[in-house]
Amino acid sequence: MSAATADVLVVGAGILGAATAYHLARRGLRVTVAERGAANREGSGTTAGNLHVQAMHTRRPGQEVPVDSERLVPLQKAASDRWAKVSEEIGADIGLQRAGGLMVAETEDQVHELKVKAGWEAAAGLDTEVLDGDSARRMLPSLGPSVLAATWCAADGYANPLLVTQSYLTAAQRLGATVRTFCPVTGLQRRGSGWRASTTGGDLDAAAVVNVAGPWASQVAAMAGIELRLTPVAIQMHATVRAPALLPHLVQHIGEGLSVKQVSAGTVLIGGGWPSAPINLDGRTQASVASMAGNLAQAIRVLPPLAGLRLLRTWAGPLAATPDEMPVIGAVPGAPGMFLAAGTYAFTFAPLWSESLAALVAGENPPTEISDLGPERLLKGENLATPH
Amino acid sequence: MTGAPVSPDACDVAVVGGGPAGLTAARRLAAAGLSVTVLDEQPELGGQYYRRPSAAVIERGGDHRPAGGRLIGAVRDAGADCRTDTSVWGVADDGRTLLLSGPAGVATLTARYLIIATGAYERVIPFPGWELPGVTTVGFAQHLAAGDGIRVGERVLLAGSGPFLLPVACSLLDLGVHVVGIAEAGTPYRLSGRGLLTAASFPARLAEFARYVARLARHRVPLWQDRVVARADASPAGDHVASVTLAATGTPATPVASYAVDALCVGIGFRPQSEIARLLGCSLSGDPWSGDLLPVTDPTGRAGQSDVYLAGEARGIGGAGRAAADGEVVAAAILDREGRPGGDRRAAARQRRHARFAGHNARLYPAAAELTRRLTAALPDDVHVCRCEAVTAGQVRAAAAVAAAPQHGGADLGAVRALTRAGMGPCQGRECQATVAALCGAVAEPAGMARMPARPVPVADIAQLAGTPVASTPEVTG
Repeated sequence: MSAATADVLVVGAGILGAATAYHLARRGLRVTVAERGAANREGSGTTAGNLHVQAMHTRRPGQEVPVDSERLVPLQKAASDRWAKVSEEIGADIGLQRAGGLMVAETEDQVHELKVKAGWEAAAGLDTEVLDGDSARRMLPSLGPSVLAATWCAADGYANPLLVTQSYLTAAQRLGATVRTFCPVTGLQRRGSGWRASTTGGDLDAAAVVNVAGPWASQVAAMAGIELRLTPVAIQMHATVRAPALLPHLVQHIGEGLSVKQVSAGTVLIGGGWPSAPINLDGRTQASVASMAGNLAQAIRVLPPLAGLRLLRTWAGPLAATPDEMPVIGAVPGAPGMFLAAGTYAFTFAPLWSESLAALVAGENPPTEISDLGPERLLKGENLATPH
Repeated sequence: MTGAPVSPDACDVAVVGGGPAGLTAARRLAAAGLSVTVLDEQPELGGQYYRRPSAAVIERGGDHRPAGGRLIGAVRDAGADCRTDTSVWGVADDGRTLLLSGPAGVATLTARYLIIATGAYERVIPFPGWELPGVTTVGFAQHLAAGDGIRVGERVLLAGSGPFLLPVACSLLDLGVHVVGIAEAGTPYRLSGRGLLTAASFPARLAEFARYVARLARHRVPLWQDRVVARADASPAGDHVASVTLAATGTPATPVASYAVDALCVGIGFRPQSEIARLLGCSLSGDPWSGDLLPVTDPTGRAGQSDVYLAGEARGIGGAGRAAADGEVVAAAILDREGRPGGDRRAAARQRRHARFAGHNARLYPAAAELTRRLTAALPDDVHVCRCEAVTAGQVRAAAAVAAAPQHGGADLGAVRALTRAGMGPCQGRECQATVAALCGAVAEPAGMARMPARPVPVADIAQLAGTPVASTPEVTG
């Protein structure tokens, strides 16, 4: 049986895969997206959907290495600028809400952190303002007395994770992309100057492979003989019953894993990267009661009115963590035509990363400097894909 | 910060659900000297079958099921710790400790044995007009009638499938309600070899059935077979159900006759509540006949090699008689494992007899999975299937096309949920999941895990658990 062909195989139909397929198809490339399950069912569909525009807490609970916020702020600004155009670009409602956000501090050290990061944000051209506790409470009366200061960022917000990925996929399909769901990639081999992918739906030959398989990215890379230090972990989210409007802004914490917002449906989403039960890559991952209790205790300390709401559901979602907690994006060394994007703030960065990957595949420079975030630093030992 | 810390609590046996199964087990185990805690989310024990009538109703007409009051009294007298108004909403990270929410806030309970006797939900399949005021479940009409002596309406039509329609119609007649008729989707009351065999093998049940039928005949209540609700329509003011249109079961969209009513009660039997069993990691398997997921247990109700037992409707629909027998069988199994006397040796035979009857009887009625498929296929696109999130049949069908998973025999239910929000509201899909699954071409919910909380719980209660130690299981008492 002869293999199907495409210019580019995108592995994974999460937000990165969907958006990258869109940008590749826009360039006139023939794209096939192969997804092991249904589209948008893993990290991209289970995230709270926050757009991290201002710098935030640098550690998820249990995270050992902090994020280098100073490096990321200019990229967050670039991603934020792109989010403003996504809906118009792909012609779909993505539930984008930019009602601004507050990053709160509860200790003097955290207040100092707010002031330092405000400097980085100013340098990146991002408008933020440090408010004292009382000014913050005037802006958001739900904030509790423990809040000593908060940074206001009008560009903070969220997009609806249940809408964005599917909208990108639909736009990509309109431009000719093929989306194969329930079609796991089971093998990747060099073939000529490109790659042959074995899938449960048959073989596919493509000049380039974009690995955006999230928690499965290291498994996919391993099929091509590339050992990546990229670890799947699962974090959990919490949703309350619908409540009257009480929280117009996104509220996050500079020192602890906490993010809270009220979405248009009226439910309040509480997260912050607390760990769930150990990740189950073959099924659904269970939530952890310890994290649930810890995250909710923290939420009602910062936002006391949440105490009276009822929790409706909790769920876990996977992500791919790098050893340095920084995102990874770029061409995979030793594997010509193979590209990778994963890691920190993947949802926020999706419009930027997808545009960047499409540029890299086309042999152009990406729109922002990202060469320091390449996959080199994640390679383990020998990584040479052998040609056949 | 968030109130007093939660003190861990422990006992020998925790019984989740105080209906016939749970109460029967609790009475036996407490009488044998084990420390037993019964948890029930209702204000009084009894479950649905032994739901206690209000004081006013008892004064007026007596207790319609005095055995329930005696059983509850016996459980309390045997020393069981009975916690009503208490929901079990989760299982701690140890996979074993129950998380409770009650009048005093949150609590944890660790038990050496767990008996899950959470009962069943009523099965309802939407139809045009099912959201109108005046449309209720059959069980709700029964609660109003037997518990509070309240008529659900003055002119009432009952529709659905299963033996439960008949006693509810009789309860309504007791209150002086005009029962317009009973529409049964199947043809169980036509003379058939299977019907005769069932009747002849279980004379007591035949007598009970005959009493209901005689009662209905005396009041000239029509019993229509092979009929389903095609739609319900509102009064001119638009605020209440005023007429019901029936159709033949094979062609649910083709009207046959309409009836003026002021209430319509619907119900297609029951399906087990399996959330707590799932949270405890019990395995479930799809039942092709009902389309439901049933916990996998041995004949004593034990789930795998665990200390978790299932009893009553939570284990599979079989009626109150089998539920009580289940309770005895589970109690006997636990007492055996404890090396204690006091188990009822004859309960296993009783349980088998009840199960045999339930099996024969169920098969006189249409298979719920097939009926669900047929009725959902006929649903117009504009009918809500998920009331919490106002999701229509058409939206689910469109999402099912997007999330098609042909190699899995239907659409990916998780993806459909995400695309439509069906099942994401306050009931968390308890009401709509079977309908949504059928619209997606899936027979049963895939055996996934249950999400916490199993019931909505105040955020402040859960926050109280932050940093709470979990009790170790106690030593054997007595």
